[in-house]
Amino acid sequence: MNEEQALRRRINAVKFASWELHLFLDTHPNNCDAARKLEEYRRQLAALTKEFEEKFGPIGETTANTSRWAWISDPWPWEKEAN
Amino acid sequence: MFMYEKRLQYPVHIENPNPKLAKIIISQYGGPHGEIGASLRYLSQRYSMPYPELRAILTDIGTEELAHLEMVGTIVYQLTRNLTPEQIQEAGFDTYFVDHTTGVYPVAASGMPFNAATFAVTGDTIADLNEDLSAEQKARMTYDNILRFADDPDVRDPIKFLREREIVHYQRFGEGLRILTDKLDSKNFYAFNPSFDKP
Repeated sequence: MNEEQALRRRINAVKFASWELHLFLDTHPNNCDAARKLEEYRRQLAALTKEFEEKFGPIGETTANTSRWAWISDPWPWEKEAN
Repeated sequence: MFMYEKRLQYPVHIENPNPKLAKIIISQYGGPHGEIGASLRYLSQRYSMPYPELRAILTDIGTEELAHLEMVGTIVYQLTRNLTPEQIQEAGFDTYFVDHTTGVYPVAASGMPFNAATFAVTGDTIADLNEDLSAEQKARMTYDNILRFADDPDVRDPIKFLREREIVHYQRFGEGLRILTDKLDSKNFYAFNPSFDKP
């Protein structure tokens, strides 16, 4: 696994944890523990995303971390090489 | 609105093509219990949902289903790369190939193209939420059946992730149904539609 794949997997893992908490909070809107954990993961995610986008190009279309010109560059997510 | 993130929700990295497996896994792309039906069901049902928790959970799960659609499409795509006509025929993939080559088209394993008749939007909160619970179990069952035929760990891993998500969504919809029933008038329990009738 190259550095790009490894960093993308780290982002996937942290993003997954935040998404789980986000869904949980839909039906448990008063759960402060889950909200605190979500904040923690979001901080981690912002740092990881910045690192990834500076090195390998944008994940989101509105990013300020990198040049938008890399948006069209390979690999797209469905390619084996991206994962 | 929706914005794209240039990554999969969970990685798909399949070394060995296997058109026979692609032929059954495509059912979760466009089949009766597949991800496009799931997404359209939830994103369409949310307009008539009466409570904030329910509007949120349908929006969020409906959105996650689009990420699952992308994962299933990716699995089919990676399983059908670099095939010879002989491999295609041997795997029985020729009946799909003749119309779609190796493009990814929303279709059931049986050959039936995606059909919105596979899901319901009733505008009735109780009916819709019970349909959603059932839909998550039907999708879980389909992934279980796919796992009976898939022996490649590169394929089993993302399929097991998708199967697990059905179970989590079932849990969240169950909580949604509980939130709804807690809010219904106990004198009219199950007797009226809280998104339309005003008793």
